[in-house]
Amino acid sequence: MGVPMTKITLNRVYAVRDHWSLSASGTFNEGVHLVSGDVGSGKSTLALMMAGLLPLSGGDIEREEVTTSMLSLQFPELHVTGLSVAEECESWGVAPDEILDAIGMTGKKEVSPLSLSRGELKRLHLACVLVKDYDLLLLDEPFSSLDCEEKVKLCAYIGKKSQGITVIFTHEQNILPRVKRIWEIVDGSLVDCGIPPDAFQNWHHVPPAIKKRIALGSTPDNISRDDFLEAECRTQG
Amino acid sequence: MQDPRIRIAAAAVLSLAAFMSLHGAAAVFLWWLVFTSLLQLAKRIRLVFSLILMIAFFSLVLELFGGGGLSYFTRMTVIVLIGMWIFSEQKSGEFLSIGVWLFGNRAGFELGMVAEMGMQSLISVTADLDRIRMAEKIKGMQWEVRNLVPAGLVLVHGALVRAEDTAELLAVRGYQYGGTMCPRFIIKPVDIVACMFAVGIFMFSLIPVSEFFILYR
Repeated sequence: MGVPMTKITLNRVYAVRDHWSLSASGTFNEGVHLVSGDVGSGKSTLALMMAGLLPLSGGDIEREEVTTSMLSLQFPELHVTGLSVAEECESWGVAPDEILDAIGMTGKKEVSPLSLSRGELKRLHLACVLVKDYDLLLLDEPFSSLDCEEKVKLCAYIGKKSQGITVIFTHEQNILPRVKRIWEIVDGSLVDCGIPPDAFQNWHHVPPAIKKRIALGSTPDNISRDDFLEAECRTQG
Repeated sequence: MQDPRIRIAAAAVLSLAAFMSLHGAAAVFLWWLVFTSLLQLAKRIRLVFSLILMIAFFSLVLELFGGGGLSYFTRMTVIVLIGMWIFSEQKSGEFLSIGVWLFGNRAGFELGMVAEMGMQSLISVTADLDRIRMAEKIKGMQWEVRNLVPAGLVLVHGALVRAEDTAELLAVRGYQYGGTMCPRFIIKPVDIVACMFAVGIFMFSLIPVSEFFILYR
């Protein structure tokens, strides 16, 4: 008998609000998944539903071998429960010194988390979230408020993850990690675009840089910067 | 109700009627049952329940120490229902329309815009509060009194940041004072009927009903 696989299945899940609706079906297996979509398309709503924090208007979600889960909300300040940065780290169950050293914020232990810039707070929040392993990790717009350097670091970290399901909900188009599967929300429905590079054919939100590469005849294998550079080298010979 | 002017006028007289007497509150409750959508209330049931709970607490204190708690509870609960009705019917842009209709394109526009911003801020704070509670669940925290301080700080911080952003946006766009707007209102016959009933209830609430019923005394 094989090792039971972690997976989450959405069975005709839907959410309805005044003049807006979202429907989703599909199975998320172990690995990194990307869910793209326009602003307001329902990415955050889907993330909340998958985390079990928002009641479904219909359908159901099956979780197999998912014992630990985590959702990182788009706006890091909403997670703040500590009156100082040190307290905030402790509220996540992590040692402040270790985390603050790692993200270059050593001197800010006693500072209020709300006095940090949005970028600093996002870095602190992601560092606290990513320090642990979860069976299901849902990241809602993890790249927002981060500069290019931090986005690259985050991608590298996510790329190294070897266990559990990681779902990234984002409209980021430039710096992305290597993913196993691409999904997108189009006209209120979650669509499974498939596995890259074949997924690029069905993906409405395919980043312009990848589109350009495809037009030049060198389709990248995946959506990370390394894949893109590799495809570029191929074109240039 | 489509016309915000009629809606606000009706809500004002109904609130006064409910506040002034117990029989007025009963009549307002009947009006509320007949002319409003209960579905709208169901969407905000948690907020209504919390407010009623708070009123119940103060009513109990009043009843224990001076009397009249039951009457206070009934009247205030009806006022909350009217408040919830007007809040759920309110649509974006209505305050601006009313402001301009009342006081013109300068002072009226300004007042209407401030009211719109206030409403928007209230909606944002409510949404933030929902997300904060979710974030606390994520951390495995319970909704406790001691968590109110950080949650309050986050809410205030968010409101201040949004206010600053809006002010900067208006400055960047060269906004100085007033604007131009042609408010349009949709008046439906049923709205006028509802408003007339509301005025009737207000007048009814002024009548000292107990004078007519000896047994009541």
